[in-house]
This record gives sequence, structure tokens and C-alpha cells, in this order.
Amino acid sequence: MTTVTTGTTGIAALQSALAAEHAAVYGYGVAGAVLSGQARARARADWTAHQAARDTLESMLTERGATPVAASPAYRLPFAVTGAAAAKRLAAALEDGVTGAYLGVVAVNDAALRAFGATAMQTAANRALTWSGATVAFPGMPA
Amino acid sequence: MLAASPTTLPLFLTLSGCKGPAVLSAPPVVSAQTQVLLRAVTAEQNLILTYAKVMSAYSRLAGPLAPLRAEHEAHLAQLRAGVVGVEWGKQAQETVTARALLAGTESAALAQLRAAEQAAVTAQMERLAAAPAPLAQLYASIAACESTHVSVLGARIGARAGAQ
Repeated sequence: MTTVTTGTTGIAALQSALAAEHAAVYGYGVAGAVLSGQARARARADWTAHQAARDTLESMLTERGATPVAASPAYRLPFAVTGAAAAKRLAAALEDGVTGAYLGVVAVNDAALRAFGATAMQTAANRALTWSGATVAFPGMPA
Repeated sequence: MLAASPTTLPLFLTLSGCKGPAVLSAPPVVSAQTQVLLRAVTAEQNLILTYAKVMSAYSRLAGPLAPLRAEHEAHLAQLRAGVVGVEWGKQAQETVTARALLAGTESAALAQLRAAEQAAVTAQMERLAAAPAPLAQLYASIAACESTHVSVLGARIGARAGAQ
């Protein structure tokens, strides 16, 4: 197995991104259960994409000699998800959280990790756009 | 005996015709990082100019494009805030107006904007590696926003093509 050297800051940033991906996988499970039709299909596709991103981050951490953080058994939702509108808002909020987590990866002093984090931010920001229908000036940045 | 104070020394130098120490007369040094930042500023100005031209030429697009242009104006303000000690002079202005010949149809204008946004994303990505962390994060966040603009403009182009 190849070992990649990354400092503690880089490991911590990757762990935060992984934690956000775990939360997104859980949250899309909740949102998808409430949605129907095309929205449900989109939620399923995004759920699958977050699972793939989670697996990628776990591999990256393992390659760097770190133990990937585990998912929590349950997560506190930011609001009650009782209908389609709330489910879409949840999906957008999950993507905002993921975008913010990858912003932390961009701060690491490693060109490859910066490019990785920035690309992941673009993917998440575009998913947020599909759910919210609106763009924001500074995706991932604290408001 | 009188000692030269920091305030009297420049006056003495002026009166005596001597050149001042280099620290007083040297032009501001623009670091490589600042040069990259200045190019990012100019690129944002070019994008805003292109939006303004399209919105002026095709009034139907003015409303839908206004939020996107506003986001670029927010980017410009943040990028400018990162530049310290450089005056906004003629040099920055000259590079702005050189581009952005307007496409001849509404669809072509949208395609031109979309291509400009995509090029902007690529340029931000190229700025990441050498930037200090806070600036790298700003470039990455702007790139993420611009990538959503590519999607918005692409959807509008697709909707127009579908309606024809």
C-alpha cells in the first residue's frame, strides 16, 4: 500500500470533510424518504455520489496512516423534514455543509489537496443549486 | 546640539537637494502574490463588463443575469480587499476594456458568458497552489460560484434551444 505524507492540519481537514460526507449520506436518506418522482431520483443519485466521496476520503486517510472517522449512528436534523419542500431545503443545507468542509481542505498547504478540495466544492455547490434553485456569491464561506 | 528628528530629516533632504533614502523614494513593491491577485481583479472586471454589455444589448436577459453579475461584483470587492498597498491606477483600467466584443445573437451572447465563466473557473484553479491559505480559499469559493454560473447559463441556453 502506498503511504502519502500529510501533516496534522491536512489530516484534520480530510477528517472534517469525511464527517460532512457521513452527515450528507445520512441526511439524503432522510430527504429521499420524503421525496417522490424526479426529486427522489435526484436525491438517490446525490446519496450515491456522497457515498462514493465518503469512500474516496476514507481511502485518502488510510493512505496517510490515519484512521477515518466513523459515522454517527444518528444526526440531529436542522429542522423537521415533514414534506418535499423541507426535504429539498435539507438537501441544500447538506451540500452547504459539505462545501464548507472542503473549503477547509483548500486551506491545507498541499497543491493536490487544494485542487481536490476546490473541485469537490464546485460539485457540492452545483448540487446545492439544483436543490435551492439559487446561486450564492461565496459557497462554503461562513455567512 | 540638535538631533535630526524623523520629521525634520525629509525637509533637510529636500532643501539640500540630496536624494532621500531608498525607503522613502522607492515605488511600492508588488509581490508575485499581489500580481496574481491583481490579475484576478482584472478578470472579474472583464467578466462584469461582459455581463453589462450583454444585459444592455439584450434587455430580456437583464433581469435573469442581474443576480449573477451582482455576485461577480461581490467577488471583485473581496479580491480588492485582499490587495494592500497598491493604488488602483490606469494600468488596471486599461486591461479591462480590451476584450469582450459582443456576440451577435442572444444565444451566442449567453454562450459567450458561459465560456467566460468556465475560463474563470480554470483560472481560479490555477491560482490555488501558490496562494496563502485565506486567498486560496477565496479563489476556491469564487470558482465554486462561477461553476454554478456555468450551470445556470447552460440551463438557459438549453431552455432556449428546446423552445425553438
